[in-house]
Amino acid sequence: MKNWALLLAALVACIALPLVMGSFQYYSGILVYAVVLALLGLSVNLTVGYLGYISFGHAAFFGLGAYTAALLISNFGVNFWVALLIAPIPAALLGGIVGFVSLRVGGSYFAIATLTVGEILHLVAGAWMDVTKGPLGIVVPRPRLPFMEGLGLVFHQYYLMIALALLVLVVFTLYRILTGPVGRSWKVIRESAALGESMGIPTLRYRVYNVALSGAIAGLAGALLIPRSAVVVPEVFSSGISATGLLIAILGGKGTLVGPLLGGAVFAALPESLRFIDEFRMVIFGVILLIVVRARPSGLVSLIPSFGRKSKTLSAKASKATVEPHFEPAPPLQVRDLGKTFGGLRAVDGVNLEVRSGEVVGLIGPNGAGKTTCLSLISGFERPSRGEVMLGDRNLVGLPSSKLAQLGVVRTFQQTAVCAEMTVFENVLAAVPHKETMLSSVLRGPGYVRRAQAREAEAYAILAMVGIESAVNQIAGSLPYGDQKMLSVAVALATRPGLLMLDEPAAGLNHTEAGRLSKLLGRLRDSGLSVLLIDHNLKLMMSICDRIYVIERGSPLADGAPAEVRANPKVIEAYLGTSRKEETINAAG
Amino acid sequence: MLDLFLQQSMNGFAQGMSYALIALGLTMVFGVLHIINFAHGEVYMVGALGAVLAATYLGAPYFVVLGVGIVVGMALAWLIALAGIGKVLDRKDGSSTVLLTTFAISIILYEAVVTFFGPTPLRIEGIPGRSEFGQTVVTNQRLFVIAVGLFVLAGIEFVLRRSDIGRQIRALASSAFAAQVVGINVERIRVVTFVAAGALAGLTGALMVPITLFSPTIGHSIIINAFVVVVIGGMGSAAGAVVCGIALGLLEAYVAIFMPQQFASALIYALLLVTLLIRPKGLFGRARA
Repeated sequence: MKNWALLLAALVACIALPLVMGSFQYYSGILVYAVVLALLGLSVNLTVGYLGYISFGHAAFFGLGAYTAALLISNFGVNFWVALLIAPIPAALLGGIVGFVSLRVGGSYFAIATLTVGEILHLVAGAWMDVTKGPLGIVVPRPRLPFMEGLGLVFHQYYLMIALALLVLVVFTLYRILTGPVGRSWKVIRESAALGESMGIPTLRYRVYNVALSGAIAGLAGALLIPRSAVVVPEVFSSGISATGLLIAILGGKGTLVGPLLGGAVFAALPESLRFIDEFRMVIFGVILLIVVRARPSGLVSLIPSFGRKSKTLSAKASKATVEPHFEPAPPLQVRDLGKTFGGLRAVDGVNLEVRSGEVVGLIGPNGAGKTTCLSLISGFERPSRGEVMLGDRNLVGLPSSKLAQLGVVRTFQQTAVCAEMTVFENVLAAVPHKETMLSSVLRGPGYVRRAQAREAEAYAILAMVGIESAVNQIAGSLPYGDQKMLSVAVALATRPGLLMLDEPAAGLNHTEAGRLSKLLGRLRDSGLSVLLIDHNLKLMMSICDRIYVIERGSPLADGAPAEVRANPKVIEAYLGTSRKEETINAAG
Repeated sequence: MLDLFLQQSMNGFAQGMSYALIALGLTMVFGVLHIINFAHGEVYMVGALGAVLAATYLGAPYFVVLGVGIVVGMALAWLIALAGIGKVLDRKDGSSTVLLTTFAISIILYEAVVTFFGPTPLRIEGIPGRSEFGQTVVTNQRLFVIAVGLFVLAGIEFVLRRSDIGRQIRALASSAFAAQVVGINVERIRVVTFVAAGALAGLTGALMVPITLFSPTIGHSIIINAFVVVVIGGMGSAAGAVVCGIALGLLEAYVAIFMPQQFASALIYALLLVTLLIRPKGLFGRARA
């Protein structure tokens, strides 16, 4: 309700502000400029703040939007206001391409690629005289709207009106995407792409979406500036524009929607009010940026008390579990002759393993035996050098790990991975499978609302099952270690696994916590889930596993029922014999 | 045509040497610290500025001017390490934070130089005269750049292979953790590498300024070329940086025969994207994300 009131107020301001600006054309112009900068800042913030990838070249998208509009107007006689709506499309495509090309490799490459693309377009715009008229630029006549003027408004008034309305629209759209499943996935990716993949989020595709959307918004900003500048010159691609966008996003407060609005206003107003320092303006901004990044990474926004937290996090509305978690057991997993070499090292060598539907299978071995590598090979995080991994009659080798997670093969990590800044509830919710798109998150029709409620109920039920529902509204990073481990299991369960692979879930847990885990594993087995379990807590392993595989130095050593394995002299010699004392202490907690 | 080709080969080789030296510094820092120093190009620019000032106001001979370039580059790199890298690097998102701090520093340096020295190009004399090889005429300064460049590259290779500090740098590049375990002072080696890269950039600035003239924008344009070199060569690969740096200088010179300078540059920058698309680890890259 509060949000609707805010939206209404914003729309009223869109109309009222330009009306009172009637005789202040100068200030109205600054306001339009602030809107353009805010849009640019929002666009940069989308990749920098919500995805965690720094861009040095948003001018590429900004300029492409401006040139698209200008060329449509001057060559095809398209109306400016129509061109304004088309302008974001090529910018979005460019964003998608740059994102796809660079994000497979890593964040630093994204910074370099955006910088380079901006530079390429800058050069081309300056040199391709036939199309862009080179450094002289393309002159665009003032796009007057007779309809608006019939209402007694002058140009700068309705220009501001439309600009403000677009800003409200963009903020609204972003708000809905960011608070929906897509935005949540971005935040997970920002925390850890591997975690995202393990939850079944196709991270590359989501990152490309993000950059494309960001490109579209920057393109819109570039086109929107045209009536104010009256001419589009190659400098719209200059690194100064990219730098300004980045400064606005970071100084305003990355990872917030209000930050770029503040930043945009500051950057539009400051040069006007501080003319005497104009020469040193960018030096000062550079110094401020350095200080902010080093000392106050959350930016201007963090100075406002109610925005002290980096982003608003979702809290659970459901008060009790209304659904019972239900798992479809996966088809049997067959691992044959699995091998992985790193350089000359054979980390895994000829491992055979089977997890039948609904079985709890243990994988043990001394430290460095290759247990985690096995798990990474099965879950698609590493590519096997040889061997096959079959789920039913489907070969899993070569599939991306997010695809495996969607098929129900889900892993957890030895180093506990949760999104530290999100609430416990939001962590789990992020992992619940969904088919929402950005569009459905923006529209939020009745179907969306129903599905969202179902997802929330499911997330809550998982939390209740794992037994940390009392911490539902806490920030995940503030949880005690044991609860964070349980949360990471909850996150894995929320992906609706058929085969759950847990990598040392009991490591570091105290006696009570280990007991809780053991009980949970029992419940999971009863609910029909197949489990592959790695742990050093042998008491737990012996009591819960149907069968146990033992590997040593990458090779299989023994397998069988817990009692058989325990009695196997090879196992005792290689593993238990050397560390029985330690393990006993460990098991006793 | 052949004459033009030979002529462009010599010009391109000299230019490529500067790309190689700058890219080498960038890639060394990436290999050892796993960060991208965005201000590296500005170190080159300020090194060139130091050279110009030493020559113009102090009337220093060119060999002293080269020394000034090196010292300025080292001092600036040390300051950058102090302001932008120390303490920040080991944060959780250290490498992206360093990208931002060095970006901020590059803005500060560039804008400060524009403000104090203006945008007008400045020039100094290097090694006078020119040499003729048949129809090909090469300025002695270009020959000097090539000679010094080869000498420096050989020197770096020697230091990396044969000296203790070189072995420590290589150890750190392969694993910071293992290096620490065997008792290498990681902090010190990081600073040494960073300052050495600064010295390279400053020297290159002083070497190139008699050819290219000084303007505050040279740092920006060389960093982009260096990025292209480093990505094509493979991030962290020294051989890739040197080979691709020189190749890029040559390519740029040849392409400029057929089309205007801007298109030539745009085409070369586009190679970066093509490389990322078809061989993301670069030509000389090892498997590293």
